[in-house]
Amino acid sequence: MVAAVAIAACIVAFALTFRFSATTPAAMMSGMGAEFFPRLVIALIVVLAVCIALGIGSPPMERPAPVPVNVWITAGVLLTFVAAVELLGMWLASFVLLVGLARMWGEKSYLKTGLAAIGLLAVVYLVFVRLLKSNFPGGLIAGLWS
Amino acid sequence: MEAFWAGLQVTFTPEILLLVLAGTVLGIVVGALPGISGSTTTALLLPLTIMMSPIAALAFLGSIYCASNYGGSITAILINTPGDPSASATAFDGYPLARRGEAGRALGMSAVASAIGGIFSVVVLIVAAPWLARLAYQFGPPEYFALALFGLSMVAAVGGESPSKNLLAGATGVLLATVGLDLTTGVERFTFDVPALSDGLEFIPVLVGLFAISELFERMAQKGIVQEYVKLKSMDMPSWADFKKCAKAIVLSSGIGTFIGALPALGATTAALICYNETKRWSKHKEEFGKGAIEGVAGPEAANNAAVGGAMVPTLALGIPGSTTTAIILAGLMIQGVRPGPHLFNEQPTLLYVVFGSMLVCNLLYLFLGFLFAKGFARITLIPDALLWPAVFILSVVGAYAPNQSMVDVMIMLLFGVVGYLFRRYGFSPAPLIMGLVLGKLVEETLKQSLLIFDQDWTQFFSRPVVVVLFLITAASLLVPALLRVWQRAPAGRTA
Repeated sequence: MVAAVAIAACIVAFALTFRFSATTPAAMMSGMGAEFFPRLVIALIVVLAVCIALGIGSPPMERPAPVPVNVWITAGVLLTFVAAVELLGMWLASFVLLVGLARMWGEKSYLKTGLAAIGLLAVVYLVFVRLLKSNFPGGLIAGLWS
Repeated sequence: MEAFWAGLQVTFTPEILLLVLAGTVLGIVVGALPGISGSTTTALLLPLTIMMSPIAALAFLGSIYCASNYGGSITAILINTPGDPSASATAFDGYPLARRGEAGRALGMSAVASAIGGIFSVVVLIVAAPWLARLAYQFGPPEYFALALFGLSMVAAVGGESPSKNLLAGATGVLLATVGLDLTTGVERFTFDVPALSDGLEFIPVLVGLFAISELFERMAQKGIVQEYVKLKSMDMPSWADFKKCAKAIVLSSGIGTFIGALPALGATTAALICYNETKRWSKHKEEFGKGAIEGVAGPEAANNAAVGGAMVPTLALGIPGSTTTAIILAGLMIQGVRPGPHLFNEQPTLLYVVFGSMLVCNLLYLFLGFLFAKGFARITLIPDALLWPAVFILSVVGAYAPNQSMVDVMIMLLFGVVGYLFRRYGFSPAPLIMGLVLGKLVEETLKQSLLIFDQDWTQFFSRPVVVVLFLITAASLLVPALLRVWQRAPAGRTA
């Protein structure tokens, strides 16, 4: 399974390398082209994938248990968070995420998680915004007031 | 010698001392958090160093690296879950000691052995790194290419149990290093017309995703596992009897740990495990091991901290990372436009001596802080996962976003979080991928330069003695472990 995925990815990557030679300026065609090194590495990955498939240098391992539902939900929440940052802005989206994820992890007290979230965001604000002068997305909602 | 004193003077400026103190405290605190390793800590805090000078950044990151190894032992001893993988061997005897009500004795010995191992390795670093750099100063691109290949071949020994999987992960890292503009031809490779990828994959989102986010998924999968916590009354200075009993283990492990750390890609975890076995082998009290032997704490702790200084030797002298964390530190320096290697010893000797000085100070600081605030550090292990991991996620997002103010970097971080999680599920280690990503550009650049020198004649590589020796060592590092495995299996096969 692992070897099959690696080989499939290598086929796609190898196909993509043909776009490099097509865009290489004529004056640069001599010597090692832009596609040479990636192709060399892709070939090495294929050889290693075949070794894994044949069990060479790779002891057989048990089939892992299915991915727990919690992990899928967490991945979904994290993706939603990235989308929510555009809408709610970094600070509000982060606050909602901190409280929500803590709840998902079994923390019952909203007061405790709320205070911890405010504390963490205050530290992040001080270090990244005040000290390192970073700007975080304000979001569409913040834009309504400006 | 002038540079040495200049370096020490800079080390003792308030700014650097404050950063070393901050790095030491952060290293102990985060190292003591179960599941957050030194590599994850360094990756998470890397964005903070972008605004610092290279000297300040290196002092800060070096202190985190030193202190997190010690911090990891607190969790290993108190809850039998190493805060850092390098402390896994410490748990074998540290936890039984704690359960017997001797947590303070184990933590005290851990602090002293760690400091001795750490200081020993920094002294070796001060002596060996300039010597190695002088030797490497004669190296041209072909020698560097061979050296980088040797570094990559060593990834076979890092992380998981499968050399093929480690090498495949390392090769994937090298392939990922080709993303972006090819500087020789000006052709964009694997960028999918995304402008943010033109300069290649940013190190920070990849590192944070592979270490912090994948760990978050992993912890979510293990949610509900309750750890038993042994309460700490106080941390005790080792008695003279304990010290006498452990002296041999500490000296032996400091030497072996420094040597193993200095080998490219082999880090503190390997050093600690090997030294645990060596300590047991040379001990007069073998029967106590696994049941709460104080030597079983001293040996691995001296070794894992000695490996820190050892790992810095190839990192600074050759630009070849000695461990996963030094690969991250190397990435941090490359972000700042500093490429470690032999030329640094001529061009920026002060920078190097500040690193040596700050690591020495850090080793003394965590010994002092460990005894002073042991109970406080021990309480860190009680922070509930429900508060810890959402906070790690927010810090990851902020860290990935801040350097370029780009949500594309946050998406890349999440993508590599998923990759890291899948890697772990299928028996791969993310460490070789990082090594490949960091060394990939060096391998390609030096190969291209070498072929230009050789007029595209590959056989010319074999006309350079150093290259031939390095190729032979590379081949040996790949083949010898495999042959040894076949050799070990052979008698069993014959008797079956």
